[in-house]
Amino acid sequence: MSTPFIVLIVLAIILVLMYNSLVAKKNQVQNIFASIDTQLKKRYDLVPNLVASLSKYMEHEKSILEDITKLRAEANKPNATVRDTIALDAKMSAALGSIMIAVENYPQLKANENVMHLQHSLNEIEEQISAARRAYNQAVTDYNNALEQIPTNFMANAMNYRQKQTFVIDESERKNVNVKELFN
Amino acid sequence: MKTQSELTDFYYKKLHPSLIRLEKSRKQLSHRIITVALIYSIVSLLTIFSLYKISYNLDIIIFGGFLYIAGGGLLYKYLIKDYTAAFKQSVIAPLISALDKNLIYSTDAHIPSHYFTSSKIFTTHPDKFEGNDYVKGKIDDVTLQFSDIHAQKKHKDSKGNTHYETLFQGLFIVADFHKHFKGTTVVLPDSAQTTFGTLIGHWLQSHNISRGELVKMDDVNFEKKFVVYANDQIEARYILSNALMQKLLEFQKRSEYPVSLSFVGGNIFLAIHYNKDLFEPSIFHSLLKYRIAMQYVNTLHLAVGIVEGLKLNQKLWSKL
Repeated sequence: MSTPFIVLIVLAIILVLMYNSLVAKKNQVQNIFASIDTQLKKRYDLVPNLVASLSKYMEHEKSILEDITKLRAEANKPNATVRDTIALDAKMSAALGSIMIAVENYPQLKANENVMHLQHSLNEIEEQISAARRAYNQAVTDYNNALEQIPTNFMANAMNYRQKQTFVIDESERKNVNVKELFN
Repeated sequence: MKTQSELTDFYYKKLHPSLIRLEKSRKQLSHRIITVALIYSIVSLLTIFSLYKISYNLDIIIFGGFLYIAGGGLLYKYLIKDYTAAFKQSVIAPLISALDKNLIYSTDAHIPSHYFTSSKIFTTHPDKFEGNDYVKGKIDDVTLQFSDIHAQKKHKDSKGNTHYETLFQGLFIVADFHKHFKGTTVVLPDSAQTTFGTLIGHWLQSHNISRGELVKMDDVNFEKKFVVYANDQIEARYILSNALMQKLLEFQKRSEYPVSLSFVGGNIFLAIHYNKDLFEPSIFHSLLKYRIAMQYVNTLHLAVGIVEGLKLNQKLWSKL
């Protein structure tokens, strides 16, 4: 076998490996995003019940509850882009967070079994969403790195791959503040 | 649960009479061991030498040497047997019940081998599985068990000689985990990145075929100390929350020895690689010495303390 032929084969193998690794990275991002979407839907499904249970008692937080309902309606719209989902998730997390803090001011709500049940379900889903967000961010970072690093950047450019956006992780979530511990 | 300093106080105050009594027998024992060792060595050497003089065969010296070491080991074990039993009964057992009344202690039993295999921390199946000092109980509704474990793999060399390679020696802990999960997540000490640097280390780790997928964690310090493999990227992060990663780093720092852990079938498994037999009495150093005392106190406190330390008692609502 002549030397140029061997060089050509090696070059072809390298190109195939690079192509496959880029496709794998892109698919990893998509797969994990699908899991986030499922978890987010689970959380949106809790919203009507939550709003119905809370609105009876919460007079001052009516506007937040309305916002939450609006956000849910927006999330249910078809053809939402990844960018929209990320933005909606951030707004929804903030709104739910402030509502859950407000619940503390209503002793009759804290004693309500239905509300407690919803709050616990929400906490558990939040934990799962947080894990999925972190997995997504890692997958996107790996993908974005490949888009910038040599030599995969040339291949990515030729394949017309574009940088993807990560979820912004709330600082409070990163620290995992435990309310119980604050009083210890 | 008692704090570490309360446990140290307990060791020196409540156990003081037993320690004094044991100290007396320890001194007698160490004298006896030295005398027996001297006599045993002289007799053995003379025997080997006189046998060698008959035939001038070098194999006699080699074979005799092996016999001398093996016999010496057996003799030592026989001599310390009673003292070891007395030490475990009057020091380790009270320390464990002082830590928590619900804990049961058995000197001879150990963690069943199926836990070791199902933990998936070790990819090789052990041929010899030994252990002692088994502790089991429920703390804050969390089932916890641990023991000393020595797992070995049998090898045969080209001459047909059998020898055993240590897979793991140290403390093996099994406890309930407070979150629901289905897959397997294994956390190992990061030797590749420490030895080869981040770039090559990561490449090596991601091509480890005996393990699951490599999971890169978002805590820089945790990534430096540990490597995570799992069959579900999201579940691994659900288990290893930022808070748990911090706690595991603290745990690793406190243990001072390499720590491997895994999450399988609703349990957390921890293997602390002490590379020595734990909870054994000190023969040539006083039991009253602070350094010696702290070895027992620290190890026990570390193992029982995982329930509070890793917050295993803060169950999620769905696990209540």
